[in-house]
Amino acid sequence: MSYSVITIDQINDPQDLETVDFLRFIAKQCREELANAGATRYAGSVSRTASNEFNVDSGKFSLFRTQFSDRLALTCYIGDRRGTASVSSSLENPNTVTSAVKDAAASALAAEPDPAWTVAPREESMIILKGNPVFDKDAMFFRLAEAVETINTRYPLIMIEQAVTSHAKDISLYFNSSGTEFVTVSGAYNVDFMYSAHDGDNGSSFVGNDFVLSSLDKPFLDLGLFAKTLENTEKQIYTVPYKGKRVGRLITGPSLTLDLIADALANVAEDDVILDGTSLWIDKIGKKVTDEQLTVTCTVSDPRVIGGQTFTDEGFPAKDYNIIDKGVLTNFNISTYTANKTGFRRAPNAGDNVIIANGTKSIEQMIKETPFGIYTVRFSGGEPSVNGDFSGVAKNSFLIENGKLTVPLAETMISGNLLDLLNNIVDISEEREENGVDLVPYMSFDGITISGE
Amino acid sequence: MLTDIYSDLSSNFEPGSHTELRIQTNKTRRACLLGGYLTTNSRAEASGISARVYKNGFYGFSSSASCTPASCLTVLNAATANADYFAKHLTSDKPSLRPLENGSVKIKEDVTDPEQKYYIDFIREVDNYIANTYPDLSSREVTAYADSMEKLLHVSNGFDSHSIMPRSYVYVLLTAEDREGQPVEVFYPFGGYGAFDANFKDPALLFPRIDDLYATLTDKIEAVFASAGFKTCILGPMMTGMLAHEAVGHTVEADIVLGGSVAGPNLGKTVASEKITMVDFANNFRGAPVPLPVYVDDEGTKAEDALLIDKGVLVGYMNSRETAELFNMKPLGNARAYGYYDEPLIRMRNTAVLPGTDSLKDMIASVDDGYYLLDSSNGQADTTGEFMFGVTIGYEIKHGKLGRAIKDTTISGVAFDMLKTVDMVSNEMEWQSCGFCGKKQPMPVGMGGPSVRCRVNIGGR
Repeated sequence: MSYSVITIDQINDPQDLETVDFLRFIAKQCREELANAGATRYAGSVSRTASNEFNVDSGKFSLFRTQFSDRLALTCYIGDRRGTASVSSSLENPNTVTSAVKDAAASALAAEPDPAWTVAPREESMIILKGNPVFDKDAMFFRLAEAVETINTRYPLIMIEQAVTSHAKDISLYFNSSGTEFVTVSGAYNVDFMYSAHDGDNGSSFVGNDFVLSSLDKPFLDLGLFAKTLENTEKQIYTVPYKGKRVGRLITGPSLTLDLIADALANVAEDDVILDGTSLWIDKIGKKVTDEQLTVTCTVSDPRVIGGQTFTDEGFPAKDYNIIDKGVLTNFNISTYTANKTGFRRAPNAGDNVIIANGTKSIEQMIKETPFGIYTVRFSGGEPSVNGDFSGVAKNSFLIENGKLTVPLAETMISGNLLDLLNNIVDISEEREENGVDLVPYMSFDGITISGE
Repeated sequence: MLTDIYSDLSSNFEPGSHTELRIQTNKTRRACLLGGYLTTNSRAEASGISARVYKNGFYGFSSSASCTPASCLTVLNAATANADYFAKHLTSDKPSLRPLENGSVKIKEDVTDPEQKYYIDFIREVDNYIANTYPDLSSREVTAYADSMEKLLHVSNGFDSHSIMPRSYVYVLLTAEDREGQPVEVFYPFGGYGAFDANFKDPALLFPRIDDLYATLTDKIEAVFASAGFKTCILGPMMTGMLAHEAVGHTVEADIVLGGSVAGPNLGKTVASEKITMVDFANNFRGAPVPLPVYVDDEGTKAEDALLIDKGVLVGYMNSRETAELFNMKPLGNARAYGYYDEPLIRMRNTAVLPGTDSLKDMIASVDDGYYLLDSSNGQADTTGEFMFGVTIGYEIKHGKLGRAIKDTTISGVAFDMLKTVDMVSNEMEWQSCGFCGKKQPMPVGMGGPSVRCRVNIGGR
């Protein structure tokens, strides 16, 4: 599992216990003030966060930042009228609760009644531990300094434009009018590098790698595709534009695979387009919508995900589900509100962590079997049209000719239709990138238009 | 409005270090009607205090949600300790900061904060108008949005300030089906600087503009694919503003220059046609306020205009105090932070290409086969200067006349190459300020310009 359920006795830090008590005190105050404001139902979340962050800019250590923040978010129902308010101000200040309740209640009173809004029925209260709440400052400094030094030594053409590593520890309490109370103690390290390669006045496009970690047991360069991306970026300094226009195959690196699939699903499987009925997949539940190689799972339980969602905004326990199962549309990624309005099933989780089923071929084999196409790890494109048409610039790319990566490309556009692409999947790689958030393979698609000068 | 109970704390600033103490409140109000359903109805506020200390070539920063004098001392000490932590492990070759002129700038106005009912009632009336007037739409979305940033800044050297930046918008998105049953949409953000009830007093004033937007949607229902390739295009003011911000602006932010941007080796060189002059404006353009005026930045630098390209020659960067030392330039007030918990970064303010002398009519008449590109969904640029903008409203130009609308597409190019192809610049100027620029933190920015004629790569079929 990506989280564990613990007892209060398993919280070892006395300061954390004190924080949990304090958050419960704030929740009690919210309940009382919401009742006084006329709330008939409500849900709230109150949290206290401490985070620490190191920044490297232009290859040099620049900033050490610490933040201590509080947050209170309330949803207030007066009958079927709903309003929300959030305040990121000190919870020690009694005005914080009063102001949030006042705003949420006034917003609810200003709304028209709408019975489609819901609060989940009572769930068993629990305490949840996610990731690693213990921050090790010296270890984080060591790993970042080690990564900077290794890059300088092993990849001399690379300029780290910015590297940010951080750790956030968060203690939060969710409560609602059904009597549910979830306490979550969580923590994770975030590692984010953006860099480019340079030789004199010539330079590559920027590219990045990011990871969410619960421990610092590995050097950063051993994570995911970090080293491979650095190596490829050094080959991207002297690029050429593609000449002409031709239809070929697109092979995407894992992060671009996820971007394209997320863009496609946003156009056909998420709240707005389902609620207003404009989705081109509105009548496709249970039907084949993509190539049968594609299975897209929104996970909360996979142990390779650091801190998956445990309960939804409405207070339902979060569960794994497939949006697409072997090419068949099985679920929309929609809220309970949209589900109640449209009759479709609500999504069992928010879709923050995606797993795409892997195939059987290596990325090397996929390239070898491509007669003509483009290999790209980043795409700079306009927002896809609502019908799925997209176009933009292929970044950090190589031309594929007769099964080989030949020249690095720049000023080359790719265009097509996202929904068509999902039906033109050639292969999905066996290997997937694990970054603590998603688990995604390389993919190859037919029918992409590649154009340049 | 924030009350300044913190000025006495400057006696706690560590001698020999540059220190900033900032107390800040950000407010956001939002209401959204999708197909008549109120899907968003929210108010948000974030308040707190932060300190940043520059010592021995390193920045230490700390923030807290608690706005008390005791918390101020806590964050000051924590920021100093953070800078010391780096100094304990590392040596910096960065110079100390040059002293600035001291002073103080205070805001002259308070900003109203209407009740949520005001927002909902306003967009309900707009939504009813759209629903009743255009029943053939397949979807409509009307959003009321307002945000504001209020800051109290005390610095060990430079300008103290008390500032507030409010802006408010009504976003309208209309969707219809084309002849093949495919959805097409148009979007427009109405509004700008100021509180919502100051900008939007009467919903009926928006109706004629919504009629214009619907007319554009009607054109788009019949839209054709652009023909892909390098074409002569006229970029409308919104596209020119996007070009100024994304394609050039980011590459001339001094931190991006240090990271290896194409602007580094091009300082002092011709990077554009001599018809192009580009400025990041601080607070005024030709005597009128720019969309999002900045008077003092979050490092205590009094804001002045930053001339970036002068008649085609790259003449300057946008700087923080630290990068200004490195490049031996004058800091002009570009260091801005989004939330109380954020450190100042080099950001644009109101970036624009200056208008020229050509009439738009003559410019369109001059194109035999090309496109007139009016609005953009988004834009991205690279440190290499390679850029991409999504085009959401555009028309063919055939034999000097506007033709059919084109479907959504993308233009791309390399900024310093493309700008050299500019041979006509219109004499009008428009601004936009509705979005956020993303660079570690979000930031409200203004952008603008005239129409320009250029050669650019357009996507299509």
